[in-house]
Amino acid sequence: MDSLPTSTGSAPKRRAAEARDGPAPAPWSPPGRADRPIGVGARTCAGVSPRWVALAFASASVFLTLWRPAPAVAQLKLLEPERAFAFAARGLDDRTVEARFVVADGYYLYRDKLRFSVDGAALAVVPPLPAGKVKNDEFFGKVETYRGMLLVKLPLEAAAPGRSLTVRAESQGCADAGVCYPPQVQQVTIALPAAGGKPGLPVEAAPEKKRWFN
Amino acid sequence: MATRRPVLVVAVAAAALALAAGIYFGRSTFGLGGTEGGGRDAAALLGVTLPDTSGKDQTLAQWRGKVLVVNFWATWCAPCREEMPEFVRAQAEMGSRGLQFVGIAIDSADKVRPFVEEIGLNYPSLIGGYGAMELSKALGNRLMALPFTVVVDRHGAIVHTQLGPLRDAQLRSILSQLL
Repeated sequence: MDSLPTSTGSAPKRRAAEARDGPAPAPWSPPGRADRPIGVGARTCAGVSPRWVALAFASASVFLTLWRPAPAVAQLKLLEPERAFAFAARGLDDRTVEARFVVADGYYLYRDKLRFSVDGAALAVVPPLPAGKVKNDEFFGKVETYRGMLLVKLPLEAAAPGRSLTVRAESQGCADAGVCYPPQVQQVTIALPAAGGKPGLPVEAAPEKKRWFN
Repeated sequence: MATRRPVLVVAVAAAALALAAGIYFGRSTFGLGGTEGGGRDAAALLGVTLPDTSGKDQTLAQWRGKVLVVNFWATWCAPCREEMPEFVRAQAEMGSRGLQFVGIAIDSADKVRPFVEEIGLNYPSLIGGYGAMELSKALGNRLMALPFTVVVDRHGAIVHTQLGPLRDAQLRSILSQLL
């Protein structure tokens, strides 16, 4: 394999700001107009109440959400690999990173295909992976798989209080529906807590929200 | 009048949520199963040259004029390995009628060779790297997941693409119209 797809975690600063202040207000909320109820006297030129406009908009949206052009052959739906295998990491203390995978229902990861590394910091040991569910593979023999949530501690060789680190995970998994995804590399940048500090918030490598509207 | 605003707010919120959900789910899931090829030209696929398991370059154009089933697979993909014995049977049965299976393994030759021997693969499997994954993407495999199979008719037109296993009955029904 020449190269692997890589998805990168978002800016931790923005995430931290969102965690603190909540998400940015939606663009359609009318700020500073609480004293002027929208429905009062606000008739459109067609004489339609905004309430009906809103209801029509709501119904149209629901219709658009549910409506799909019929495919030539009935199809099941599959998740993108970075959503099926959502990777995140956080700093547990000044010398330990905690890596996390949340595996979507109906998907699984192979234990022996998992690799973790931290840029610019050596790991003290090869991270001990929990035992997976044993599956008998006709060709490879006994293989172990993970479903649901997987937490792995990555102990660093030396303490690095407050340091910003890029945590990288290589993984490979499949869907019960009968497909496998190629090995995937995901990475996030996190900050380790100060010496004696509280664990940090997990930073997710899942695709950014803004992608919804691309 | 005082009751109007909550209605409006709720309606707008519901609409926004529905719209966001629609965009969200519409973008993040992809179809598994078969799609009719609509007779798209398979020139891009037939123009591909890849090494076989012995390292010798093979071009897909050499099978032009046959009913070609190109199967993207890998040894690390259990569902791929599971369906291949079925392809071996179909090749043995219908090869003389102009059917040609070709595997494209997203894998290394040293992993492919022992597996090919073990199951007695009776058709060539070429070795494609990540570039072959991109090729499958151009053919409709947007998720670049495996197995992915493309059926090309004798005239070089794509008649079927399949993400996920191609069941024996479905394969035979597609082939019966082409052979």
